[in-house]
Amino acid sequence: MQDIAGVLVNSVISAALYATMAYGLAVIYGVMRIINLAHAGLMMLGAYATLTLFTRFSLDPFLSLFVVGPLFFLIGVVLYHLVVSRLPRSGATPSMESLLLLFGVWLVLQNLAYVIWTGDTQSILTGYTMKSVAVFGVRVGVPSFFVFAGSVLSLVFLNVVLKATYLGKAIRAVTQNRDAALLAGVDADRISAVAFGLGTAFAGVAGGMLSTLYAFTPDFGRSFLLKAFCIIVLGGMESVTGVAAGALVLALLENGLAVWTTIPTSFQDAVSFALLFVALVAFPRGLPGLFARFARSRTIR
Amino acid sequence: MKAFPWASGAALGVLALAAPLMLERGTLNDVWSLAFAVVLASAWNLLGGFAGQVSLGYSAFLGIGAYATVLLSLRGMNPFLTLPLGAALAAAFSVLVGLPAFRLRGPYFTIATIGVGEVVRVCASSVSFTGGSSGLRMPPGSFDFTLNYLSMATLAIAVVALAAFVKRSAFGQALAAIRQDIDAAEALGIDSTRFKLAAHALSAALVAVAGGLYAINFQYIAPGSVFDFRLSLSIVLMPIVGGVGTIAGPVLGALVFSTLQVKLLSIPALRDSYLFLYGTLLIVVMLFEPKGILGLLRRFFDRRLRRFYADA
Repeated sequence: MQDIAGVLVNSVISAALYATMAYGLAVIYGVMRIINLAHAGLMMLGAYATLTLFTRFSLDPFLSLFVVGPLFFLIGVVLYHLVVSRLPRSGATPSMESLLLLFGVWLVLQNLAYVIWTGDTQSILTGYTMKSVAVFGVRVGVPSFFVFAGSVLSLVFLNVVLKATYLGKAIRAVTQNRDAALLAGVDADRISAVAFGLGTAFAGVAGGMLSTLYAFTPDFGRSFLLKAFCIIVLGGMESVTGVAAGALVLALLENGLAVWTTIPTSFQDAVSFALLFVALVAFPRGLPGLFARFARSRTIR
Repeated sequence: MKAFPWASGAALGVLALAAPLMLERGTLNDVWSLAFAVVLASAWNLLGGFAGQVSLGYSAFLGIGAYATVLLSLRGMNPFLTLPLGAALAAAFSVLVGLPAFRLRGPYFTIATIGVGEVVRVCASSVSFTGGSSGLRMPPGSFDFTLNYLSMATLAIAVVALAAFVKRSAFGQALAAIRQDIDAAEALGIDSTRFKLAAHALSAALVAVAGGLYAINFQYIAPGSVFDFRLSLSIVLMPIVGGVGTIAGPVLGALVFSTLQVKLLSIPALRDSYLFLYGTLLIVVMLFEPKGILGLLRRFFDRRLRRFYADA
């Protein structure tokens, strides 16, 4: 019983963080049909930005998210105008050029970090890093608790922006049909820049939160990129609930395997990948596709 | 004019094989690295260039080849006889990976292959028979540099010749059709999955042989060296920077990269961050000349030739 509660609580916490990572990718994909491989590099940069704010200005890592978020939004907009907007536009499916270009951006970011912060492993230790609180009788580290709160906050923020503002409406319009949005008077280029900024801000915030849980190097972020991709394959790129469900499935699987089996934790990264492959073979259209198929077969009978 | 590329290729091949007679050991070492890079770039190009399936997981095949060679040599086999076994193993693994991964198209396939490389590296450093993260050493007494050099040079020449052959064959035409429009290719009756699997297996086997020769030459392998993600990166970047989908492009890219590598690694401050330059190179190529250095050269010489003919 204790085990089940522990797995559930920990899974929900990781799922919130995973969803934050995946949303950054999904927003950019939706608007521009670009897979942002630089996401991993931006998460790593977010971790280092948080570290720098912590060591230089002794700013609490969770408070610094309010600096990192807007800062990364700006970085994203600059990156869009500097590099991404120069590409020929992707059609219905992402172009290989955009993938490789952003891959180059990732390499540049990663090695910039090697130059600035060296390859040494870094971590952020605050007064509460080792403390824990009880949630439903499960001991949860204080940083994990804050990470959960931060993830939920940023997801609520994104949903409010998407649902309640003109900007959000425009982003959703461009996601659904770029040409129709252009005809309706939406400045799709500006929306793309904003969406890239939003996605980058989410990467930065996710990276900042990761830095309170894990030690990191400039190589940080690759396994998390894979997790985000796995979530998107599971949940589908467009649906909000899909991403959340995909994040929860992955988190449950990771935590469950860690508790109930003897698979060493060093294999944990392999879990997301195995899940990705199973998903691709068994239900290539993700969980929504699976549900749709299930619902269809029921109605036919 | 048509014979020129073949003649220059053959001349380069003869020069490479005759190099041990002329060059000293240090330079020869650099040429060995160049040949190694040519093999990796040209083999990757079979799938990534000809069929347009960009894979970022090739260090897995290199590592499988290297580990097969070391593990079998430690059990008393002749190192060079282990090479075909490593190649077969890597080809089998490539099919195993390819069956689900080729359900994905374009960029999705690319991301899935990042995962393949990661998982193989994690497994190699956690499993005990591979020596874990501290790696493995070849049995002593199996080192002969001239032999190592000649085998790598021969392999490089063979791979480039094979690439030229494949490009002109019906197999190569099918791959080109898949690259240009996979749906149209399927409509013409090309079983795209089978062709992609075949190209994947062929290039994986070639990379695995290079991995085995790597193990023989360096006498020591570890997950951090042969399964390094950066190695996968270099394998992809060389053909793309040189000129993806061509014969000379990967060779050119390998030449640029191995020259840069030798120069850059001699500067201690750049040892960790040499990929910075590669990343910039990739951005520049993608933005300004997606056909790579070869495309740039071709554009330059075409203009020259046209002016030459206009004057004449």
